[in-house]
Amino acid sequence: MFIGQDITRVDALDKVLGTAAFAHDLKKNNMLFACVVRSSRPHAVIKRIDVSAARALEGVVTILSHEDIPGENLFGAIKKDQPFLAAGRVRYKGEAILVVVATTEEAARRAADLVSIEYEDLGNISDPFISIQSPVLIHDGGNLLSHRKVVKGDVAKGFESSDVIVENAYSTTWIDHAYMETEAGLAYLDDRGRVVVASSTQNIHYKMKEISRLLAIPPEEVRVVQATTGGGFGGKLDVTVEGYLALAVWHTKRPVFMRYTREESLLAQTKRHPLYIVYKTGARKDGSLTAVEVNIVGDTGPYNSYGETVCLRAAVHATGPYEVPNVLVNSRMFYTNNPVSGAMRGFGVPQLALAHESQLDEIAGLIGMDPLDIRMKNALKRGSLTATSQALNHSAGLLETLKAVEPFWRERRKEGPGSGFGLGCMYYGIGNTGISNPSSCYLTLTPEGRVEMHSGVCDIGQGSDTVLLQILCDALGMEEMGIDLVRGDTDTSYDAGSTSASRQTYISGMAVCNAAQKLKKYLKEHGHYDGKPLKEIYRDAGDKGVPIFEGHFDPPTTAPDPETSQGAPYATYAFATHMTQVDVDEVTGVCKVIKVHAAHDVGRAINVSSVRGQIYGGVAMGIGLALMEEFIPGKSGSFDNYYLPTSMDMPEVEAMIVEDREPTGPFGAKGVGEPALIPQAAAIVNAIKDATGVRMRQLPCDIERLKLALEKDKENKG
Amino acid sequence: MKTIHFTLNGKRTSVDVEDNETLLHALRERLGITSVKEGCGIGECGTCTVLVDDEPHYSCLTLASKANGRDIKTVEYLSSSGVLHPLQEAFVRSGAVQCGYCTPGMLLSAYSLLLKNADPDAHDIKEAISGNLCRCTGYIQIEEAIKNAAEVCKCNSQG
Ligand code: FES
Ligand code: FES
Repeated sequence: MFIGQDITRVDALDKVLGTAAFAHDLKKNNMLFACVVRSSRPHAVIKRIDVSAARALEGVVTILSHEDIPGENLFGAIKKDQPFLAAGRVRYKGEAILVVVATTEEAARRAADLVSIEYEDLGNISDPFISIQSPVLIHDGGNLLSHRKVVKGDVAKGFESSDVIVENAYSTTWIDHAYMETEAGLAYLDDRGRVVVASSTQNIHYKMKEISRLLAIPPEEVRVVQATTGGGFGGKLDVTVEGYLALAVWHTKRPVFMRYTREESLLAQTKRHPLYIVYKTGARKDGSLTAVEVNIVGDTGPYNSYGETVCLRAAVHATGPYEVPNVLVNSRMFYTNNPVSGAMRGFGVPQLALAHESQLDEIAGLIGMDPLDIRMKNALKRGSLTATSQALNHSAGLLETLKAVEPFWRERRKEGPGSGFGLGCMYYGIGNTGISNPSSCYLTLTPEGRVEMHSGVCDIGQGSDTVLLQILCDALGMEEMGIDLVRGDTDTSYDAGSTSASRQTYISGMAVCNAAQKLKKYLKEHGHYDGKPLKEIYRDAGDKGVPIFEGHFDPPTTAPDPETSQGAPYATYAFATHMTQVDVDEVTGVCKVIKVHAAHDVGRAINVSSVRGQIYGGVAMGIGLALMEEFIPGKSGSFDNYYLPTSMDMPEVEAMIVEDREPTGPFGAKGVGEPALIPQAAAIVNAIKDATGVRMRQLPCDIERLKLALEKDKENKG
Repeated sequence: MKTIHFTLNGKRTSVDVEDNETLLHALRERLGITSVKEGCGIGECGTCTVLVDDEPHYSCLTLASKANGRDIKTVEYLSSSGVLHPLQEAFVRSGAVQCGYCTPGMLLSAYSLLLKNADPDAHDIKEAISGNLCRCTGYIQIEEAIKNAAEVCKCNSQG
């Protein structure tokens, strides 16, 4: 048995030795260095570009513009709307305009500084509420990227039958992924003249396709390899350095390396979407929810990236993990000239959790009910209908997570003024929303008598390589881990889809199970389970060779109805409850998180240590989201003014694993990557209210905001 | 350019560096020690941590010329005897490594702590790694690993 054990991660040894080759560490003889010239304006027409001084600089090899792109200049995971290199117009500060290639990194950066660009400014749409009414269009089709609705029952009737109604507005801001390794990669031509790009990435097959479109060459002429990747969290899903590298190698025929500086990563890469949420909740005196009406307005910046995805996912998760008979959600995503917002751990759901969890506490307060009891009363459970009327027929362990924290909740005691406790719950659909998102892999045998797993899954530090090996070992009934892993290379693997949406354990895990079944059948037919060693099976296969055994899985979902989003957008959901204790200094506004009980229904914990690791990391990111992280365009240029949680900010965390097994998942597993973060900020905000009586509806509630709110509260009371 | 001489992971080393060159650059680009990472370049993240005379320093803020005559350690030192240091062992076992980008710097900060304090409490450990950012782990398993390694080191030195 490998599942449920703390199997040491397969990548850990190289990482503690310092020998793991991250994208930043890649090198080739004779390599050139690239860097990007970026827009200094949020919205402008480019009138003139003068590269003469830059070109004259010693070491500069070439300077490439959109005119040097042989194929299509537009990329995008959902919609191809973002130029690799601006074609005459820029739509955000930091947009890429040119690629400078030089013999040293220093020369490339100096040359980039010498490029002079003349702009003619266009109207700067700096927020989505301006975007709604502005005559200035960011794209020809208008400034509304997406509008999704969830309609269930009749909210008007629902509110009529309510004893209490609470309505409030909430808002969140831009968050940077702040992976410790900035975007980086190396590109070169292989001996067959194909373009090879090795980079820090969350999805190799997607990037292969984008490069093939960019260069107008068939995908087979492109190979993408995942270097050891220093974190992703959604920010390395979009094409980052890969396009520029491919273009540079295409023109120079020499290896090219590039990496973003931290400043550049902060300036130019995607962020978490700021969402503005107006939330109305109705309930009866007994605490049962009657209706929820939500209006969400989001700022995606000038390009889609994952804006549509966030718009829809936020909408279908808007009620939180509760049974609500009447639901109306309007979720709108607008283009602006702000930073591009894209995928970040939770895809809009952490923002919504702030709202639905705050609302629930307010309702509980009005009717005099305990916050835990109101959650238990409304919790989704087996047989419940979600906001999209999906019947939860399988794993649905929210109640178990609530019960896990219950003893600690009931026993809680405030430790003096400023001490408080809060709850946050969440549910999260595993995999992409209502669309096909398959994963494939294949297995074979090696002459040495080992099983070889070919995996296109990008392990970005969360531990999927180890988890998939554990699943394979158990699926084959192996006693020792006799598996060679061939991974992260489009030449040697099938498309496993992106490492996103907490999908790899569940979806790629099932693909591995599917392949294992076929291999097992073959091994049985060839006498392995009667004692014949794999080596002999390989040898006896002779010239015919051992076939490859393919595994596939695509979670069963239905497309959301375009008008109502009703349907079954996900095959399974993860559930969680975080109970959080804080200590607020009412004079300074400093909020310290003291203790977190984090209970997660993961279906089945394949690797307990990795599940704990995800939970702890999620708590840390939730603390950042709640209390300190705020990307301010034009101001946040480094970690000097974009604050990340350090060890000193971390509370004691009790990770509690609940296993309501999911019959459609690998050995019962679901996912935990994003769920770990989602309820944390909400739980902190509820704890601050409990501690101080002040409800914070805008994130982050950093020291200044909290101090101001506490002072205002005092004035009002005084 | 000038030549500096120092001890690198126990070995006498000489290298030519520019006057304004950082130790980070000299180690990575001239000496090929890529375990020293650059996460920010301005002294805010700790991924570039090295030990100068056993004290943690951000190598991105340290001039290479300042290494002259000093003892410099990078994570390679920890396993230079051919076996994993108890800290490395504990990091592997405790799930302290996720993406691993912060890991070399974390290990060095922890190593320096254990040199000074064989029996650190939870607060000492938190403080020792407070200059090393990690975006993945939430620090908890790193702290557990350091605690476990301290126990092992203590036993080793007593045994
Ligand atoms: S790279 Fe030196 S502190 Fe970040
Ligand atoms: S493990 Fe990723 S930054 Fe620490």
